[in-house]
Amino acid sequence: MQFEWTEEQDAFRHKIRDFLHANLPDGWEKFSEHGPASPALTAFAREFCVKLADAGILFPHWPRDMGGDGLGPWEQQILAEEMWIAGEPRGGQYMNVNWIGPTLDKYGTAEQKTRYLEPITKGQSLWCQGFSEPDAGSDLASLRTRAELKDGNYVINGQKIWTSYAGLADTCFLLTRTSEDKKRGITIILVPMDTPGITVRQIPSLIGEGDIHEVFFDDVTVPESARFGEEGQAWEIVAYSLRNERLGIPRFTLARAALDRAVSMLKDAGDFDGEYVRIEAARCAALCEAAGTANYAVVQRRVDGFAIGAESSSARYATVMAERAVCEFVIEFLPEALAGASPYLKMHHQRGIVAGVAAGSAEIQLNIIASEVLELPREPR
Amino acid sequence: MQLSLNEDQTQILDFIDSLAKPFSTLPMHDVSLALESAELDEALVENGFLDVMAVEELGPVTAALVVERLARLPFAVEAAASAMVRPLIDPELPRPLCLMEEGKTRKPLRFLRPGATVVVAGPSGVKSFTATEEMIAPAQEDTLYGYPVAFLTSLPDAMTSHDVDAAEITRAWRVAIAAEAAGLLGAALASTVTYVSERKQFGRPLATFQGMRHRLAEDQVMTNTVYWMAMRAAGTGSQADAAMALQHAQEAAKRVCYDYHQFLGGMGMTLEHPLHLWTYRLKLLTAELGGRGAQGLAAAEALWS
Ligand SMILES: Cc1cc2nc3c(=O)[nH]c(=O)nc-3n(C[C@H](O)[C@H](O)[C@H](O)COP(=O)(O)OP(=O)(O)OC[C@H]3O[C@@H](n4cnc5c(N)ncnc54)[C@H](O)[C@@H]3O)c2cc1C
Repeated sequence: MQFEWTEEQDAFRHKIRDFLHANLPDGWEKFSEHGPASPALTAFAREFCVKLADAGILFPHWPRDMGGDGLGPWEQQILAEEMWIAGEPRGGQYMNVNWIGPTLDKYGTAEQKTRYLEPITKGQSLWCQGFSEPDAGSDLASLRTRAELKDGNYVINGQKIWTSYAGLADTCFLLTRTSEDKKRGITIILVPMDTPGITVRQIPSLIGEGDIHEVFFDDVTVPESARFGEEGQAWEIVAYSLRNERLGIPRFTLARAALDRAVSMLKDAGDFDGEYVRIEAARCAALCEAAGTANYAVVQRRVDGFAIGAESSSARYATVMAERAVCEFVIEFLPEALAGASPYLKMHHQRGIVAGVAAGSAEIQLNIIASEVLELPREPR
Repeated sequence: MQLSLNEDQTQILDFIDSLAKPFSTLPMHDVSLALESAELDEALVENGFLDVMAVEELGPVTAALVVERLARLPFAVEAAASAMVRPLIDPELPRPLCLMEEGKTRKPLRFLRPGATVVVAGPSGVKSFTATEEMIAPAQEDTLYGYPVAFLTSLPDAMTSHDVDAAEITRAWRVAIAAEAAGLLGAALASTVTYVSERKQFGRPLATFQGMRHRLAEDQVMTNTVYWMAMRAAGTGSQADAAMALQHAQEAAKRVCYDYHQFLGGMGMTLEHPLHLWTYRLKLLTAELGGRGAQGLAAAEALWS
């Protein structure tokens, strides 16, 4: 066991930091208050990701045969940390390089790869993930959006909800139902978002403008060649593609940075001398570090060649605890932060509060830990 | 960053497991409140397991791994102070080692007995002495703590001064206790999980009820992170990491111990089930070095002053 970064890893981190320092515009911090899926940040990311691509840090963790540098899981982690802590200047394009690209490469047809991979590598495409539905959230496999094959086309009808980036995305990675067989009746279709019959409605939210949407599909018609993988293969593909993504965003880094910022504001105000505030701040820091170490333990499993399993749920839950603690700390001791005194802390708050819901809720992580880490006997169904 | 065990570490832990095997379970109905084994202690000393920190290829992380592993046993072993603090003061100090905060004589000391070395750390430095019969008052016989404990009634006029930084000793002490707590948390969780997976009510194992599953899963998250923070603090040697590791460990102990006894129902109140050995040790560790608040203040000082 060895808790120091290697010189190469340090150098890689500094390369990214230096790049961000040199290329993020003045006023970026205030700007990043726009959510990652906002029109402003999306437009910004379309230019910024081109620069990242030119500098070789858009997808350095991809294998060489996909044009990457074949860097390992630690470097992928470092890249994700530095981007998230900087306010995620890639906007929604982080999904492209984390899982959409590699999944296209593994399961896509030649035509799909040609069509979709290049724009990703050029920093020019935005995807959305059409999984959740009004009646299929945690119980995703009960989704009902139908795709029917008629005369060589799929005709899609139904509704998705909570879809991030939908308002501006070029393409939707859409889960549809093609047969009644629960998990094995789900099929992925890659749907251009400008296809007639798609209506996107923004959902006003606590997390900033433009982030979550309802997406309606009315007789949306795409050629059969838009199907991704075989009919009924969605569950397997999604399990694969999210396998390396299950750790999720390295939120603990931003939570910790937000905490440091809050402490420095409290010190400036002369309000960081009391024992209670100091102990609480330390408790929050410990929870951030706890989440960090749990995440790193999972990265190590990847380095050792294991598929990521339920231990990632444990790391995710530790992250939720950290986010919750920091969000609550800021409001308790610095209520002015969310009312204009600190765009940075507001930005953190709006990103932090979703940690327990987005990408699989906290309770679902607990279910997974109970069954697969603790190996408790299963609940009756 | 390299978080897997290296070959040496795997070997040492395997060796400890086989050596400790006869001590890993208890004959039912024979669980005294503070369980120790001179035989186990001797075997550990003889094989050098409490001296791994000074070995260059092994170092403090390996020592923390040893402490964590030993804490899982139902038998209490004075390992944390000897394996992780003693090497920084004087590797020859006679065991058991009792760590005492300067001025805190009112608190019970773990493993205090005639012949033990008491190390006093605080503002006036680091000092030690050998405890004698006259300085010791036994604790109440049926104290619940799962460790042998006793009180110091007086301090000797002369103590040996050690030329080491008290802050550094306190740091190592925090890490040692965090590592011990990690092992205790792991053992208490495993013991509770076994019980609720087997015990049936309403026609099904208790562990199938989500009210329990979620709390146990949260406890797993705490336990896992206490382990990693203790190991990291051992590895980095940082004051902040040490204080956060112990703060988190003490927080975790407060959170889980009550639940575990609760989940065992009436059985959780008995001496027949060994759970109390781990939980009451944990409870006593929540009072080490001033408890969560003191660790929090130390962490805040290290992080933000
Ligand atoms: C900011 C944000 C962005 C998102 N982006 C996307 C996106 O891009 N694409 C997409 O497809 N989806 C997206 N989601 C949706 C997200 O995946 C779902 O919100 C999540 O899976 C939970 O589903 P739900 O909202 O229907 O909640 P429900 O499933 O209705 O859950 C409500 C509550 O009940 C609990 N619960 C549910 N089942 C159980 C159970 N078995 N045991 C115990 N408790 C249970 C949950 O933990 C939760 O606390 C996003 C969500 C958010 C908040």
